[in-house]
Amino acid sequence: MSNPALVIDGLSVDFGGFKAVDGFSTVIDDGELRVVLGPNGAGKTTMMDLITGNTRATGGTVTMYGKDITNHTEHEIARAGLGRKFQIPSVFRDLTVFENFEVAVTKQRGVFGNLRFGLRADEKQQLDQIIELTQTGDVIDKRAGELSHGQMQWLELGMLIAQESRVILLDEPTAGMTQGETYRTSQIINALKGKHTIIVVEHDMAFVREIAEKITVMHLGKMLAEGRMEAIENDPKVQDAYLGSGGIH
Amino acid sequence: MASFHSKTVDGGLVMRLSDSPYVDVFAYGTFIAAILLLPLVMDDPFWLNRIAKYLVFGMLGVAIALSWGYAGILNLGQGLFFGIGAYMVAMSLKLQSFTSLQQGSDTPVPDFMLWNAQPGAPTDLCCIVPGSWIWQPFQAQWFGMVMSVIVPVVISYILATAIFRLRVSGVYVAIITLALVLLARLLLIDAQPLTNGFNGLTDLGWLTVAGIEFDPYLTATYYIIAVSLSVVLILARLLTSTRAGLILQSTRDDPKRSRFLGFDVAAYQVFFFTVSAAIAGFAGMLYVIAAEFASPSFMDLTFSISMVVWAAVGGRNSLLGACIGAILINTIEASASETELLQESWRAIVGLIFVLVVLYLPRGLAGIGQEAVDWIGRKAGISGRSRSGRASNPSAAE
Repeated sequence: MSNPALVIDGLSVDFGGFKAVDGFSTVIDDGELRVVLGPNGAGKTTMMDLITGNTRATGGTVTMYGKDITNHTEHEIARAGLGRKFQIPSVFRDLTVFENFEVAVTKQRGVFGNLRFGLRADEKQQLDQIIELTQTGDVIDKRAGELSHGQMQWLELGMLIAQESRVILLDEPTAGMTQGETYRTSQIINALKGKHTIIVVEHDMAFVREIAEKITVMHLGKMLAEGRMEAIENDPKVQDAYLGSGGIH
Repeated sequence: MASFHSKTVDGGLVMRLSDSPYVDVFAYGTFIAAILLLPLVMDDPFWLNRIAKYLVFGMLGVAIALSWGYAGILNLGQGLFFGIGAYMVAMSLKLQSFTSLQQGSDTPVPDFMLWNAQPGAPTDLCCIVPGSWIWQPFQAQWFGMVMSVIVPVVISYILATAIFRLRVSGVYVAIITLALVLLARLLLIDAQPLTNGFNGLTDLGWLTVAGIEFDPYLTATYYIIAVSLSVVLILARLLTSTRAGLILQSTRDDPKRSRFLGFDVAAYQVFFFTVSAAIAGFAGMLYVIAAEFASPSFMDLTFSISMVVWAAVGGRNSLLGACIGAILINTIEASASETELLQESWRAIVGLIFVLVVLYLPRGLAGIGQEAVDWIGRKAGISGRSRSGRASNPSAAE
């Protein structure tokens, strides 16, 4: 039996007395697509920050494919095979779309190994596929900062694919998207299923129904419930947690 | 005011002509040809020597553009590396000077050390003043020349490692570098017996290679500098087009994203900061060869800030633009200082130009040039060959 993709065990962070994430544990299997739900302030984004090394955990461990990555630096965790998409699209705005992909596809991360010109054949082939999947061919020579919001999100997704991360964390990938754009995004994510282990934080229930397999609900920094869509929707604890914000919808 | 991002006209499909590598090759080629051919039309050695010094400042423009434009690191203390480079070679040239051989000793001794020495101190570099032994290896000219680059590299590497490993960024880097150059200047002046303090190192010998003496007013000396600048320009431009150069620009745009893609951002910043310092040190060495002195004024705050102004006016995102900006401003300055009215007001005028450029031409002169090239490209229906290797199709934009 292979190692699970991600084992989160008792993960906690204490911001001067406030525990944004408090003893959170879960196991995510290789190739799984996990949706993390939770009301505002449940600690979803903080949990992602802890996993990716952006925030230092004060307790607990994160293990990826059997390797402890707790509190490693961001670039070490990324090299170990973890990619992250931010809530606000984070791309290199002054570089062209193609250059953004070019940076992302670089597997040799050191300075001296990159004193070279052009693309290798395998890199070119990989980028062609990603441009196809994200349908960015028409804007390939545009500066990323000039893209529409949706295109920027797809560019960032494409960069994660180019990075060949085994585990991908997506923080609200459809935030601010139109219905059509949301649908396209769900197609891209469905295309990634199986090849990558994916964790999605999302509020948009229509989108969640489109992609979800297993759902984890967070509340006040803790895990509240875990299971399939129907089970979660009918869980009284979940309904209680969402009461203030009008329930899941 | 012209818009730099021609969104509507491009329609996104057409690549800007100015993005084409051929335009760059043409621009760099023209500039290099111009500086190499200049001695054919300018036979006044005085002006040729002046231009040589401005070419050195152009090299400083390249160093600033590399760190500020490409890495997003505003170094307000580039004069530190320029100054170190200058002093290293000036020490060697001082020992080669005729006066240094006339101090009543078999080995050369700088004249000012004698004035600062205790009565009865031996007239030898080993111990004429405390610490003067440090001058001994500089009796070899090559040693001073090599140190002009090595010392800035070592210092900048240590400095950059400390700054960037701690993830210091933005204005704090500017403040740290600014404070450091002032500190270095203070130490330099304070060490009067070793450095001749305020007066700097003057009365230097000439650079001598294989028995040939390079009088600063010789055309050959101009060529040493013009060729050096050309080589630095080409190498720096090539460096920015490598994958590492692209990754560096990505760390400038969004360091967090670069980290999450697996890049050690600090390593890239340290590398390019160090390259920039090496260029500044090399420029310092060339300046001494052309100007025959090294002085603490190289580490004045105004000088380091002037470099940033040159790069801003020329275009900090363009190595060539920043280089031309430096040469242009200095040439105008030299002409202006000969007019009595402008002599006093020149600094104010430069300040005004800087403010106007920052407000209205964020990409400087290089930006104007790129706009012009793009305009020609649109009129003529030519577009650049895209990096992605996809053919651009102007008509599809309509």
